[in-house]
Amino acid sequence: MCLVSELLSCCCSGLYRLFRMLLVLSEDHKEHLSFLPKVDAAVVGEFGRIALEFLRRGSSPKIYEGAARKLCVPVEMVQHGVEGLMYLMTESSKHMISEEDFLDSVLVLGFGEDLNQTLLQLYLQHHNQIRSILRQLPSSLPAYHNLEWRLDVQLASRPIRQQVVPMLTMRLLLTGGGDLSRKVLQTDPSTLLHLISTLEAALAAIKTNHARRIFRNIK
Amino acid sequence: MRFRFCGDLDCPDWVLAEISTLAKISSVKMKLLCAQVLKDLLGDGIDYDKVTKLTADAKFESGDIKASVAVLSFIFSSAAKHDVDSESLSSELQQLGLPKEHTTGLCKSYEDKHSALQGKLRETSLRLGRLEAVSWRVDYTLSSSELREVNEPMIQLKLQTHGAESASTETTVVSVSADKLRVLLAELKQAQTRMNALQ
Repeated sequence: MCLVSELLSCCCSGLYRLFRMLLVLSEDHKEHLSFLPKVDAAVVGEFGRIALEFLRRGSSPKIYEGAARKLCVPVEMVQHGVEGLMYLMTESSKHMISEEDFLDSVLVLGFGEDLNQTLLQLYLQHHNQIRSILRQLPSSLPAYHNLEWRLDVQLASRPIRQQVVPMLTMRLLLTGGGDLSRKVLQTDPSTLLHLISTLEAALAAIKTNHARRIFRNIK
Repeated sequence: MRFRFCGDLDCPDWVLAEISTLAKISSVKMKLLCAQVLKDLLGDGIDYDKVTKLTADAKFESGDIKASVAVLSFIFSSAAKHDVDSESLSSELQQLGLPKEHTTGLCKSYEDKHSALQGKLRETSLRLGRLEAVSWRVDYTLSSSELREVNEPMIQLKLQTHGAESASTETTVVSVSADKLRVLLAELKQAQTRMNALQ
């Protein structure tokens, strides 16, 4: 699937619309979606619901089989229809395309006006939800959850008695992909001071002019 | 402004904001709310229905209820963490704008549960690989595939520890010969004498 972007300007009213995004659908995709006009509008709505549940929780073959039995069509046709619909919704939401662009993009499928409107309504109702689901997907790096620490002094060990060794023991709790992972770390006071100064330098980097300029320009 | 109960740091902004929320309920209800929060901090669980009833007169929304529970938990646990006495806590809270009757009630509850709170915080401090149970068994080896007459006692030791990196119980089984066990016992007794000297 590729994008076509055109530059449009509207001189008379002095407004400039800069970017026009149309989705270009592949042949396979068009074929999958060609199932949709053959069923009535309620079924399309139902497929839309299944497609969204697919995004949220993954699909299950039982749903497809049930729908296929009710409509007397092969299971793959239902599956392709739902998947095609889901792909259409996610790509549209991903690029945040406007209503007109969405309608123009589905025009090429040759559906009737009602079906186009149904698809448009499905898109408008759900695109925020889809965007928030998509936002959560790339959770690659583990994130800080909590840090527990303890300051100890080692007084004696089996080979040596009469010691004084201060030690900081830490347990770092990280969340990554839903579950908690724990890392146990130990450090002596000088390494701890170095750790603290490095982290403070990292925090100070946010306040530099360079960083501030970038933050101002991100909307 | 540095506050002792915040660990000689500035008071967090949200605490300042929620202290004014606390001032909206009566001081009697405040004392009961403190009792509920202390129960929760000591591990006995909090009764949210009672809390909702206590804050119903002041028409707290669910956000306000959560905020007052959070600010009281913070004040109690932070004051216990930094070992603040109740007079200092009282003067600092009044500086932050908590009315006098509320402060008195809060500090009285704090003083009553001060040592229990510190004990609970001590218990929940970081501990790695806690030893939970030790069980043992003495066997007598009669014979083996290597030697016909072995005739040696052997100890099987089972140690159950609460894992350091994982959150589950780990079991370690070791078999120890008599000599090794004597060495182990002697070393552990020396460590114990050292520990007792520190008590």
